[in-house]
Amino acid sequence: MDAGGDFSEKFGLKHYQSILDNLPVAVFAKDATDEFRFLLWNKKQETISTIPRQRALGRTDYDLFSQESAQYFREMDEKIVRSGKPLEIPEEILETGDRDEVYLHTYKIPIFDHDRTILVGISEDVTETVTNRKALQKASRTIQAKEQEIEKTQLQLIQIAKLESIGQLAAGVAHEVKNPLNLILQGVEYLDRTITEKDENTAFVIEEMNHAITRATKIINELVDFSTSSRFDKRECDLAGLLDGVLLMLRHDCSRLDVQIDRDFAEGLTVHVDQAKFEQVILNVVINAIHALRDVAQPRVAITTRKSTYSDERSEGVRTGKQIRIGDPIVEIEIGDNGAGISPEHLDKVFDPFFTTKPTGVGTGLGLSVVRKIVELHDGFITITNHPTLAGAMVKIVLPE
Amino acid sequence: MSKIKVLAIDDEPGATRMMKINLESLGQYQVEMVNDSTQSIATALRFRPDIILLDMVMPNLDGGDVKRLLQENEELKDIPVLFLTALVSDSDTSSDVSLVESGDGIMIPKPVKTEVLRSCIEQTLSGVL
Repeated sequence: MDAGGDFSEKFGLKHYQSILDNLPVAVFAKDATDEFRFLLWNKKQETISTIPRQRALGRTDYDLFSQESAQYFREMDEKIVRSGKPLEIPEEILETGDRDEVYLHTYKIPIFDHDRTILVGISEDVTETVTNRKALQKASRTIQAKEQEIEKTQLQLIQIAKLESIGQLAAGVAHEVKNPLNLILQGVEYLDRTITEKDENTAFVIEEMNHAITRATKIINELVDFSTSSRFDKRECDLAGLLDGVLLMLRHDCSRLDVQIDRDFAEGLTVHVDQAKFEQVILNVVINAIHALRDVAQPRVAITTRKSTYSDERSEGVRTGKQIRIGDPIVEIEIGDNGAGISPEHLDKVFDPFFTTKPTGVGTGLGLSVVRKIVELHDGFITITNHPTLAGAMVKIVLPE
Repeated sequence: MSKIKVLAIDDEPGATRMMKINLESLGQYQVEMVNDSTQSIATALRFRPDIILLDMVMPNLDGGDVKRLLQENEELKDIPVLFLTALVSDSDTSSDVSLVESGDGIMIPKPVKTEVLRSCIEQTLSGVL
């Protein structure tokens, strides 16, 4: 004989309601053979649903909850009745009028009694647990994002440190190399002057030595430019005039290679720059563009200037300036070409010193690193991406207005 | 016509010797060499140069030190000085003859062609620079 038998034999049903009302979980029952009307609704169920027992009994989910919730409960209930097996629902949402969403951990049990079917539900309010878990997940995602940010910053710092040590090394090497270069240059000069009767080979040797000295000097000077923050003489410059000046210097290269230059300059834009240094920047970038157009059918370089407001549109290959903040007025210079563009794996590296895709002797790989340095010393930044319409590369230089 | 007297001060004997050979081969120059910069003042007082070519980076006394000692000396303070240096680059140049004005004076970046050197000397002596 079981204990329940003892209890009901002694007391009948009169204390069951009291037991049910003191349970720490919600208990309810629906009559599956009568539109799932509620037959049972304990105290805890009142608290959780904020619906009093008198209102709930004899009603259906559709009378008490939103259409959406009621439909969900009904489908679930019908499924359980059809299967004839109890079902555990680890987490379900109950929308109530007064409270925000309530999360329930519910067991639903079908009871078959002759021609009637009763569906009993037992629910535990797990809102606090779920809310905590969600907050924890959110915090964990934030931490993950922060960690990624820190990792990225660390990589950038390593990169900066690397560049600085290259800079220091470069300055030292430049000094040590320029002194012997000076001797070689003057020595070759002396030989050139004193060997009065030169045969073809001697003339060739002297000429080649002079070329080699010029080339070595150029590389060393680029290194020095890269490693020293040279004196700057910043003035207000007419941007269109500066750009046209550079294009004038390049007119021979452009016409020789049949490169079409599309100018789209905003009127009256001025920039606060060291004109000579900034011309070097534009010259370098445009020469790079022209070099990229060697095997292109209708080579084009498009140069656009505009006034804008900085909106932090970060992209691959971005280098952010120290002083430009979101909302600051800026001047943008875009130089695009319709060459082959830059392969994705190179986008991050193009600003590194000594990175070059040109053959030895053609490019030192210092051009864009010097360009970036000069732009940054003007409190601006430079990005390189592939051009959205021209298919080639697009260099964007951003300066504070 | 008397020759232009040039005092070349550089810690590298090869550098001063090369300048001497090249400048003297032009005909109108007489070059005296100093490789130990501490001997600069004594040699200058003895040689009485028209112009001094001074290397910037040297052990013991560097170019700046020598220039200061020259200026402190009543008999030498008016002799023009041109600095030669491997520290600045050609792209810093502010004129056709590859010169850089710094706090210390006019700098000629190395490597330098004799032609440029001569041009600088002549322009300095004629008061253009």
